[in-house]
Amino acid sequence: MSILTLSGNGRPHKRPLWLYYDAIWGYVFIVPFLLVAAVFLIFPIAYSFYLSFRETWLYSNWFDQFADMRYVGFRNYVDLLRNPQFWWALVATFVYALLVIPTSIAASLALALFLNTRLPGYRALRSAFFLPHVFDVFVVGIIWLLLYNPQIGPFAEFFRWLGVEWFKKHGFVDNPYTILPSIAFAMVLKGMGFGMILFLTALNNIPDSIFEAAEIDGANARQKLFYVTIPLLRPMILFMSVTGLVGVLNAFAEFYAMTKATGGVAFQFLGATVQAARVSGFYLYQLFSDAFYGHAAAMSFILLLIGLVITWVNFRILGKEA
Amino acid sequence: MANFANSTLATTRAYGRPMPKAWRYALSYAVLLPLLLLVHLPLLWMIITAFKAPGYGTKLEFIPRAGEAMYTLENFRQVFFDKDFPFYRFAWNSLVVATGCAVVTVAICTMAGYAFAKKRFPGRDLLFAGLITIMLVPGIIFMVPQYRLVLKFGWINTYLGMILPHTANIFGLFLLRQHIRGLPDSLLEAARVDGASEIGTFFRIVVPLSVPVMITLFLLTFVGQWSNFLWQLIVNTPDSPHLTLPVGLSLFQGQYQTEWEKMMAGACFSILPIAVLFTVAQRFFIQGLTAGSVKE
Repeated sequence: MSILTLSGNGRPHKRPLWLYYDAIWGYVFIVPFLLVAAVFLIFPIAYSFYLSFRETWLYSNWFDQFADMRYVGFRNYVDLLRNPQFWWALVATFVYALLVIPTSIAASLALALFLNTRLPGYRALRSAFFLPHVFDVFVVGIIWLLLYNPQIGPFAEFFRWLGVEWFKKHGFVDNPYTILPSIAFAMVLKGMGFGMILFLTALNNIPDSIFEAAEIDGANARQKLFYVTIPLLRPMILFMSVTGLVGVLNAFAEFYAMTKATGGVAFQFLGATVQAARVSGFYLYQLFSDAFYGHAAAMSFILLLIGLVITWVNFRILGKEA
Repeated sequence: MANFANSTLATTRAYGRPMPKAWRYALSYAVLLPLLLLVHLPLLWMIITAFKAPGYGTKLEFIPRAGEAMYTLENFRQVFFDKDFPFYRFAWNSLVVATGCAVVTVAICTMAGYAFAKKRFPGRDLLFAGLITIMLVPGIIFMVPQYRLVLKFGWINTYLGMILPHTANIFGLFLLRQHIRGLPDSLLEAARVDGASEIGTFFRIVVPLSVPVMITLFLLTFVGQWSNFLWQLIVNTPDSPHLTLPVGLSLFQGQYQTEWEKMMAGACFSILPIAVLFTVAQRFFIQGLTAGSVKE
């Protein structure tokens, strides 16, 4: 049918007829996906940008706040940049990223190296280490809240048995000093099996002949690890760093669960009171749930820029490799 | 000579002479088994606590004394049919949302993946590159505008509001497109020569040959939406009839702070089905992750 309409309009065809036919069917097949993507992914980016220059106000129509926002220019961005809470959100995110990403990569790599041999039961072990990755983050966070409980949890008791009373008194997620490392520890344990699978795949792609050549040149196990294996795994390590950073910018449920929706204990930062574990994703949620939609949109846009910078750096580095 | 190719960390002595196999294995187990216990401590603790009688969940005791009723099934029954926090409803809602999202995602990603892989149309490569770029930005930035859209469409407290906004899965599109690109063109041409329609080619050639990847995407989406806490939290008001497991558990936690036995019984309803699903279908999970992560 489409052929008839196309050839009936009298235009000369330089390309074979079936190519037009093919193109039309190409559009037909992408339409459902593109429609959803346009409405829920592409439009939101533009709309976020628009919203970031507006804000709800005292007399906004309570039933349709989004339709009744005032233009405020760059006020939202300026507000954020002058707010210590915003800077603490970025610092906390950065600290959390430093705690969680290198540890995850090292732990995943070590696991992959242990399980890259024909150790009896290696298949079952790989699956067992991977399993927690598929569990609900929020629910796992609630379980960790019990494990970290200073009165009734096993970890505080374990440290007391070791002779460290500090956690019994101050808890793990109940003080500003250990809250981020404690959440990071829980998340590294949950995610290391996922990284392990990625590293196992990458290890599998390294030809055996490279190790044989190193062996013939007299390299010992440690030299092989540091001068052969790790350099060859560099693209995977970079990939995991970048996806890890984007993951940290997105982190929310684990913080919501392990701080009982508060963002953690309060402490002083740059002369303001901030919540110790209020990372960028949590801060964005808080702006949103307090109905500061304009500020939340501006925060989204700042996160978008950070995400794009990370991606750009990634492409630069990975591009150089290839 | 033969087995050094696979020997990496801690498997040979520093001067190159291979360690006896039994030692190597013993060393590996000595590291891996305690670590495995630590990794699964939350799972074990959840299950043990969920079976404990009220009051015992907060005690570090595990072996009941003679005549002591330390373990019970009561928590599961109470939580499942709780009047204010009915976990049977939460579980059903989670199942509907996760399944619905996975079905729609697989359908539209397979169709679009086929078009991007095998059809030639103006703007194809530019469009694909643009979509891939969106995949790399943090997803949380879509929260505010998507919420506004759902509000505008009147989809607050509905399944549709929870399902539809997350079905344009660009990772899934990428996965399917990579797979379909690997199918030989000659198969599609043969179908065309035999007079198959475009729809017929899609359903008789492309879909049957993509089933494993489609299952993988289905499972990854299912598990992802089963655990999608933030979105399900904001598109539901607390009195919504469509609360899902994590949101329900979060409200339950707000109400019964100290009843850890019941809270862990509630957690079991979220964790255990996924554990079973993974054990049954782990091949598909791992296949999808390795296919998606290895660039090239």
